[in-house]
Amino acid sequence: MCLGIPMRIVERDGFNARCEAKGVSRTVSLFLMQHEPLEVGDFVMVHTGYAIEKMTEAEAASAWEIYDEMLAIELAEDAAMRAAADAAASPGHA
Amino acid sequence: MTDPAAWLERIRALPLAGRVRVMNVCGGHERSISRAGLRALLPPQVELIPGPGCPVCVCPEEDIYDAIALAQRDEVTLVAFGDMLRVPCNAPKAQPRSLEQARAAGGDVRPIASPAEAVRIARDNPARQVVFFMAGFETTTAPLAGMIAEGLPDNLSILLSARLTWPAVAMLLASGEVGFDALVAPGHVATVMGPEEWDFVPAAHNIPAAVAGFGADSLLASLYSVLRQHVEDRAFLDNCYPVLVRPGGNPTARRLMDECFEVVDANWRGIGVLPASGFALRPHLAAHDARLRFDLAADPHRKRAGEMPPGCDCARVVLGRIYPDQCRLFGAACTPSSPVGPCMVSDEGACRIWWSTGKRECRPEDAPPAPVTGDA
Repeated sequence: MCLGIPMRIVERDGFNARCEAKGVSRTVSLFLMQHEPLEVGDFVMVHTGYAIEKMTEAEAASAWEIYDEMLAIELAEDAAMRAAADAAASPGHA
Repeated sequence: MTDPAAWLERIRALPLAGRVRVMNVCGGHERSISRAGLRALLPPQVELIPGPGCPVCVCPEEDIYDAIALAQRDEVTLVAFGDMLRVPCNAPKAQPRSLEQARAAGGDVRPIASPAEAVRIARDNPARQVVFFMAGFETTTAPLAGMIAEGLPDNLSILLSARLTWPAVAMLLASGEVGFDALVAPGHVATVMGPEEWDFVPAAHNIPAAVAGFGADSLLASLYSVLRQHVEDRAFLDNCYPVLVRPGGNPTARRLMDECFEVVDANWRGIGVLPASGFALRPHLAAHDARLRFDLAADPHRKRAGEMPPGCDCARVVLGRIYPDQCRLFGAACTPSSPVGPCMVSDEGACRIWWSTGKRECRPEDAPPAPVTGDA
């Protein structure tokens, strides 16, 4: 939860914005950013659906480099864990 | 920005006389450290200790029990961040011991990823009582304040287990057993609250401190900073994440948090009550406090209420007193697919992170430190 996701604002309607990262689009609340003018094209750090700070495109790209690496590993692990859980659920396993 | 290799060179060039224990208090930091395999790259004198950085791990057992009880009521839809669903409590036999089990038993339990989803679910289901069970640190408490300030549907209430990050560090520093020589402070907590919250660490305790982001460059910059402060015996608070951490934090978030919550003494699972360490809803929000709406009261006869599962050493792991693999359940009785304690459940729990980065076996507690060598 504390990691946050850098996203780009692509559409804005009041405090709600459509934001994108890596081709994925999400509704993000800009309610916590009332002190900071934000426009379409700006990048924000998003925590649990809420933008908590503005950032530059370069900062967002650098954060994504790290996350890409971590997410790739975690997706592989989740799959391995599900397989292990399925094996554990098979009869005869305590 | 300096690249990670250059920071490592600088760290290796520091004249470290003896062991230096650097604690982090953020699951995101621990994840980055483990994934990048930083421990294996640092000089052997440097120990990186995962400390209290997982809000799910310190959420009181009693609160989880209450959430499960609510989830079993016919009129209630219980929503929570996904991490919370598998955390076990000490329910009597034949009763659900986790929210996941409550859901399997027919309870309406839904994982959410944002407070805004709780509002949407409540609006879409006006005949249901929707309860948002919220365990989190400042980074999730700020969005919760945003959600509340934007207006709550009548049928939405909150079971709040939110905590501040710094009081656990203050407790460790005031205890006779500090257990670390330097602190890496959590980046996004400081984005919201401001870095000044951590000034007390160097100012009152002469312990080096640096706020860090989540990339290897920012983490290594913070490690270089605190190690250099240590070598020079000159402790101060450094900001190694200036792109997202500004003086005073996020003013809107802090104002809304102050309007919605008061800071109260709060219980930390396995640790006890820490003064001024929790957020509670202010009186004007009492109508949306699930504890009041459903008249939740502790059952004085419930066995092992508030206790950790037998043999589980999560409390000492959370406090950085032992490494995850020094718990005797680690990797054998306790794994992510069959977790015993909360630290093996949450993505931010140190046990889960170590297990996920390939450290799968426990070692005796008196063994010399030989921390995880991630190979990401």
